[in-house]
Amino acid sequence: MNLCKRACLYSIRKKGKTLTLLAFLLVMATLMLTCLSIQSATETANANIKKALLGYFTINAKTLENGIPEDTVSQILDVDGLSGRYTLRSYTYATYFDADGDLLEINTEGAAQVPEGYENAGKIVANSNSQNDSYFTDGGFEMVEGSPITTETGNQVLIHEKFAQRNGLSVGDTMLLGNVEDKDKTIPVTVAGIFTNTEEQDSIGMAPSYDLYDNIVFTDLSTASFLLYGTEGTTNVQYGDFYVNDPDELERIMTDVQELDGVDWESCTLTRYDNDYQNAKASLEGLQNIVFIAIAVVSVICFLVLALFLTLRLRGRIHETGVYLAMGISKGSVLLQYLLEVILVAAIALVISFGTSTAISHQIGSSLLSQVTSETYETVDLTGESETAEEPTEDLGLAEIEVAVSAEDYALVWAFGMVLCVASTALAAYPIMKMKPKSILSQMS
Amino acid sequence: MNLGIRAILYSARKWKKTLLVFCLLLAITTLVLSGLAIADAQEEQAEELRGTTGASFTVERDISTGGWNGNYSTQEFMSEDMIQQIAAVDGIAGYDATLITLPRIFNDKGEELAHENYSFYNYGSYNSQYHELFLSGRFELVEGTHITDDMTNSIIISRELAEWNGLKVGDTLTGVYYPQNNTPEVDMKIVGIFDVVADKNDQVNMYDDASYYAYSSYVFCSMDAAEGLIKGWGEDGEGISEAYYYVTDAAQLENVIREVQSISSINWNNYKITANDEVYQNISSALSDTGTLITTLIIVITAVSMVLIILILSMSIRSRKRETGILLAVGIAKPAVILQYVLETLLIAVVAFPLACLSSKQVAGTLGTLFGKAAENVIVTPQHFILVAIVGGILLVAAVLVSSISTLRLKPKQILAQME
Repeated sequence: MNLCKRACLYSIRKKGKTLTLLAFLLVMATLMLTCLSIQSATETANANIKKALLGYFTINAKTLENGIPEDTVSQILDVDGLSGRYTLRSYTYATYFDADGDLLEINTEGAAQVPEGYENAGKIVANSNSQNDSYFTDGGFEMVEGSPITTETGNQVLIHEKFAQRNGLSVGDTMLLGNVEDKDKTIPVTVAGIFTNTEEQDSIGMAPSYDLYDNIVFTDLSTASFLLYGTEGTTNVQYGDFYVNDPDELERIMTDVQELDGVDWESCTLTRYDNDYQNAKASLEGLQNIVFIAIAVVSVICFLVLALFLTLRLRGRIHETGVYLAMGISKGSVLLQYLLEVILVAAIALVISFGTSTAISHQIGSSLLSQVTSETYETVDLTGESETAEEPTEDLGLAEIEVAVSAEDYALVWAFGMVLCVASTALAAYPIMKMKPKSILSQMS
Repeated sequence: MNLGIRAILYSARKWKKTLLVFCLLLAITTLVLSGLAIADAQEEQAEELRGTTGASFTVERDISTGGWNGNYSTQEFMSEDMIQQIAAVDGIAGYDATLITLPRIFNDKGEELAHENYSFYNYGSYNSQYHELFLSGRFELVEGTHITDDMTNSIIISRELAEWNGLKVGDTLTGVYYPQNNTPEVDMKIVGIFDVVADKNDQVNMYDDASYYAYSSYVFCSMDAAEGLIKGWGEDGEGISEAYYYVTDAAQLENVIREVQSISSINWNNYKITANDEVYQNISSALSDTGTLITTLIIVITAVSMVLIILILSMSIRSRKRETGILLAVGIAKPAVILQYVLETLLIAVVAFPLACLSSKQVAGTLGTLFGKAAENVIVTPQHFILVAIVGGILLVAAVLVSSISTLRLKPKQILAQME
């Protein structure tokens, strides 16, 4: 009888044993695959944490004659590792005119001084998104009418409630912004919204007139670019904040950025802001280590258990081995038969395990994890006296966590599983094979 | 022969088999114990991570409920007692409050310190390490120590200021706020020097009065010194209007705030609380995902371990069919046979479980150091052990019972006849 046939016949005859082995191998393979898929999912989760800690760097090109040109900005955004989230900012001053070119009135009450030439001028703040400007995020500014400025172009402005009242302006009206030094250089803009301050300005008595809250005007970047650099059709900016995916790479990214052509980087100031990440770094690494250790422990012990189990199984077949050898079947082919049996069952187990572990991973992925994209934060609801922190859901562009069995992991489990099955069977069979058939059979109980 | 003796004799006679089952039990128990320890460690680590997000709440006087005299609010200021009372609430890691003064500062020879524009911008502080400027990383202490609430007459200054004036830690400075209002001179010892990391030329922060001062002119002094500087300033009352409290665990922020609000000696009509946990909110979903994944991993491990134990035991019992037949044939009662098997298994378990306790710590530690990762947090607690011992014991007994049912249903003759 040929050994393949023998192996098959044995497996079929001893259905119970074969099934136990199959179950065992299946459980082990599924465990390993699930562990590996969970591990790669935790890696994504950790990358998300890193990204959500919002490491960024700021380019201050205020001293450059032309700021940061538009195409340099797009080149910077192409640098590998940037998350795509960025804020461009420009600050300047402008004289305010109405649509007919008549000067508009500013507030001078509470000003430390009204600098010469700024009698009808105020501070111009341009931001990629006016809602993200520090006046709105930290300074307590709030929109009362109209909509914030979220585009780079469009010649729009936001004006203070009091400024609007004083000059009879309302949303939709047109006014002119003029260069403070060169009064002929003006640009018409539309009032897109009206804001107010919810907190008193604490620098009253110290701030010059143009810095008073009432006199500040928010505009889009291209308007500011016209006022600052006289550009038309293209937008240059003074400052850029660029967020990165992995704050660990900030240094490298900043070096890459400074190698780009077209800007005199020597005159710019680049500042890194990754304090939140630096604070969390040690704990985050600890967390990653724990995941790693968990996977390592599982893998090592799984292999150990598998080897022991196969040994246990083979030891129950000493009697059978003796009989085979006594029948004159060579040791090699007996061993091969055992190996074949295990490999046959292992192959079936591994094939099925792909299905089971995919099902389990899918279950974990769909039912347990927060789906990042549809995440809504519950606002902290604090009782009466305290203010509710209104935290609009911010889309941080985090990657969706996917718990799935990857091809590499599957191949890995196949390779290791097979090697282990063969090795442990061979090892367990070694002491039995060393003996003569007579001594094996006489040793039996 | 007594069944206890029989169990021991069997285990000793078949020592190789016993050893194998022992090793299997040991390995699986180690796996489960390490799993439980890892789950705990993950929880701890996640808590630590949440602690680093700087989640805080601000207590400030509520201008809207206070009076207004035309120029400024007459709402009551925060008292030192109140600030300390809140700081004593459980779960608060640190706190700070600021009392701003704009003093002139002189060295020990009576010369005014060289500085940039205006005067100095002085934050009276309880714990300067919790000051926003340090927390946000804009300033970094490079020498000496931070101001803490047990310090008196201390000040920390910027490196530039120290360099321009040849000052070092340990020197004494004298500050005076409004000499024309007869505020006293206050002597302060330099306890620390900080570096300015942030780019002051960036106009992003130009919305408050502090922004008109150069960073190099910022100084932080202990609260008693700041209070000393404004002593005698008069009834217009300059006081502390805001205090910041940082919590150890961002997830507990809401509970801590609730507890603070239940302090009855504070008139909460005059104060309001604002929560700030933006960083935590940003990472919370990703962080809880990591937690869920690790917990799931541990659950999978535990479930699989249970299945494995049952499989191994049933295999071992089933291979003893012949023995069972003989034992029954010689007139030993069925319960006695089962009990013998249970006893054998438990004998192994009694040795394997405590050993697993030792090995699990070893395994996590060794694997950790092997790959250069720290595993200090992975600790097997007695609770873990008791849990595993009880559940494991029950599981073993159940597994033996279930696997012997099929054999024990039959008569000895049938069993022996069935054998090959």
